[in-house]
Amino acid sequence: MKVLDGMWQDVPVASFEDLTGARRRLMDGMHARRRVVTAPRLLVAAGVVAAAVATPLVAGGGTPAYAVTENPDGTITVALDEMRDPEGLQADLLAAGVTADVSFLAPHTRCADPRFEGVDPSYGSPGHTEAQMRAGVERWRSFEAAQVVDVREIRIRPEFIRPGETLVLEFRDNQNAQRPWRLGAWLARAGSPVKPCTPVPDAG
Amino acid sequence: MTTTREVIAADDATLIGRSLHEPEIFAVLFDRHAPLLHRYVTRRLGPGEAEDVVADTFLAAFQSRADYDRGRPDARPWLYGIASNMIGRRRRAEAALYRAYLRSGVHPGETAGAQVEDGVNTLAVNRPLARALLRLKRADRDVLLLVAWAGLTYQEVADALGIPPGTVASRLNRARAQIRQSLPEGEQS
Repeated sequence: MKVLDGMWQDVPVASFEDLTGARRRLMDGMHARRRVVTAPRLLVAAGVVAAAVATPLVAGGGTPAYAVTENPDGTITVALDEMRDPEGLQADLLAAGVTADVSFLAPHTRCADPRFEGVDPSYGSPGHTEAQMRAGVERWRSFEAAQVVDVREIRIRPEFIRPGETLVLEFRDNQNAQRPWRLGAWLARAGSPVKPCTPVPDAG
Repeated sequence: MTTTREVIAADDATLIGRSLHEPEIFAVLFDRHAPLLHRYVTRRLGPGEAEDVVADTFLAAFQSRADYDRGRPDARPWLYGIASNMIGRRRRAEAALYRAYLRSGVHPGETAGAQVEDGVNTLAVNRPLARALLRLKRADRDVLLLVAWAGLTYQEVADALGIPPGTVASRLNRARAQIRQSLPEGEQS
């Protein structure tokens, strides 16, 4: 139906200027939760989270470092506000049915590898090409099992973790209030013990 | 964020996957698809609503990106499906645009001077089209215009709206029949 295809076809494709406002709104929306995390608000937010979740940790100064929430759809949300008490987080994840190994790393460090045998090439195979990464994002279970969904939150999807496997989470302090940590997340093969993390310098 | 050549070359599904760890990468998806999405929305609602709809669409997409089916390398059906919902919330604005066109013969989003070229012939076709679009059911209009103006295939429309391809075909046939009936003799192709 060519007449319809051509109807109002002189409406131009939007220019950069046409889209400036919409793009700014998107960027603001992306960062909305970052901007509100000033100290007093963080305390309020943490209090709300503590009241709502199943297994909040209260340690040290009384502010939850993290919260583990089991969602109705079977996924698990971890809200990580402070990088402390990895053993507690591990225990709470185990209580939620996920065997995990959690490490919190100082800036510019990483865990010496290999610590374990991964279930897919996402771990222990440096130098992936873009094509391999692209294919891997779609196929590797490590990417499916744990994903960053917000500035301070990850979502764990247990359906992608098979019996005996360990979810290895390495959080590195990013020294950036807008992006407080970076996450490495992999699945260790069943029967492959995960060695303790030995921090080593890392340029990234 | 540094937009590397690899990011520019990556398909939509890869970008969405990476944006889970690096949220700023989602802006590349905006830059890639917003210009044509804006044009599509402008044709349906006029320029006054387009910016809001585009912003709302990408914000909604960003918030639900963890659920995106990364087996689909092209995100257009996903984005246009979200936009269709946003447009649906503005049905009055869409109807008002068609009515205004019936009265004035001018679409507010068209570039100035475009009417001059063959304005009489254009109006002779576009006015009946606008009247017919106004009378279509919303669901039929969504399908028709996603094909005609957004250039989506039947399968992509089905993915966008979450309906079976057979439903797309039946809605499209019904809508096209109504459009044809509204057109003057000799303009029904």
